[in-house]
Amino acid sequence: MLEAIRFYLKEHIENKGLILKLAAVSMNKQTLRTSIGVLWLYLHDFVYFSVFVMFRLLMSGNGEIDGMHNIVYLVTGTIPWFFMQEALNVGATSIKSYRSILKSIKFPITIIPTVEVTGIFFKRIFTFLFMFGVCGYFGYMHCFHPILFIYYVFCMLILMYAIMVPISAFVAVSSDFHQFYIVTLRVLMYTMPIIWGYKHISGNHFLEVLVRVNPMVYVLNGFRNAFVLGGAPSLVYSIYFWLCVLVFFAFGSFIQFKLRKYYADLM
Amino acid sequence: MQNPANAIEVRNLTKEFYIFEKDYQIFKWLFSHKSREQTAFLKIALDDITLDVKKQEMVGVIGKNGAGKSTLMKLVAGITFPTYGSVETEGRIGSLINLSAGFNPDFTGRKNLYYKGMLMGMSHSDIDAILDDIIDFVDLGEYFDLPFRMYSSGMGARLGFALAVFSNPDILIVDEVFSVGDKNFQAKSKAKTMELFNAGKTVLFSSHSDDQIRNFCNRVVYIKDGKIAFNGDVETGLEMYSEDVARQSKKQG
Repeated sequence: MLEAIRFYLKEHIENKGLILKLAAVSMNKQTLRTSIGVLWLYLHDFVYFSVFVMFRLLMSGNGEIDGMHNIVYLVTGTIPWFFMQEALNVGATSIKSYRSILKSIKFPITIIPTVEVTGIFFKRIFTFLFMFGVCGYFGYMHCFHPILFIYYVFCMLILMYAIMVPISAFVAVSSDFHQFYIVTLRVLMYTMPIIWGYKHISGNHFLEVLVRVNPMVYVLNGFRNAFVLGGAPSLVYSIYFWLCVLVFFAFGSFIQFKLRKYYADLM
Repeated sequence: MQNPANAIEVRNLTKEFYIFEKDYQIFKWLFSHKSREQTAFLKIALDDITLDVKKQEMVGVIGKNGAGKSTLMKLVAGITFPTYGSVETEGRIGSLINLSAGFNPDFTGRKNLYYKGMLMGMSHSDIDAILDDIIDFVDLGEYFDLPFRMYSSGMGARLGFALAVFSNPDILIVDEVFSVGDKNFQAKSKAKTMELFNAGKTVLFSSHSDDQIRNFCNRVVYIKDGKIAFNGDVETGLEMYSEDVARQSKKQG
């Protein structure tokens, strides 16, 4: 296990320049042939977000969720989720999409999911400005905690890196797993407090614990904390989160280490 | 390296492919104590191969389709890994395997050179240094600055060939690629390979063309059903191979 982690870290440290360069390339890959490039992506997000807002306003008017204005609650949830959603989708198939390269060039395989997640992060950085804009408009910026915010951006990135280590490996070698994963992702969004708040499940302690078991919820809660509710993250939950990250990394690098010699044969 | 005069040392190399009938069996292999033999079909591609290639030697590899030539090439290039045994090489490897792999269809030829160069571990300035030579060599004209998806397969292969060759490798691994491109380019690519060889590089060369083997190689390795059937003089090797082919077609006919 230790050997696997060492191998994973070694490949990342040796290729840190390559990771950044490839991330910059993969950032524009999808929208290369379009006329407005990455703006398309922001448009998608905006439309998606507007639909959420419309539903929310129709359902509860100018109300509040968990002590935040409806729209502020939505924007602090959806913007990180859009990033995580794309990272979960694209990152999972990353090794698979490098298939022809792995079959003909010697290449450090473990950096591939990291490259794709980093690329997605780069191109989505500006969506966070939108988040600031909305929060500012509704007057929530005065209780903004920059340190908490940066901490949670860091958490979000690390979590995505960690989750993608085992997932990208499994998806690359097993189509069965890929199908299973797609279904899970579909459901996952609705189990997280993105468009609904804790007040909707208030009283049901079991359900609340169940929701919080998902480490991504730690990040979502965190962004809201950074803007409104303030206060440092709960120590127990933080420890749980970092344990999750560690387990994903350790387990994932073990799988990658075991599979690294077989990718070119199995794909 | 046991012998410092060698550029490639292959020792007791066995390569087995494992074919999983269903995807989920991979998880059985990953997580249970069952060995791969118990969960997958076994296909032996190369069986206990030992081979030395000296520096500045040009070795031809011949054999039927599926005999294990490409498998050997990929193992030497470090793309796949041996099941048992070892492959050791000295110096930078340039592999001419599946030439147009790694190019992005939406990038121009120029951008693709930088992109694939990056994947191969070359820096931006490395490519800058050889860019003019490559442009001159591939002779793509206006296509060089058009998206890769508009290229014919020959053009794509030309670009891949040029990049691998001009990256100045110590060992060149050529897997049946001299048949790409038009006559003019074939002649050019052969000349360039000879130039590298004369500059003291090592070449491992597989081809189905007897003439190419005769023209290029000092030594020939005949692979038959994953084993080395012959290793030595070019004419004897080619003769043995063509005898085997004739015998087989007689059997079938």
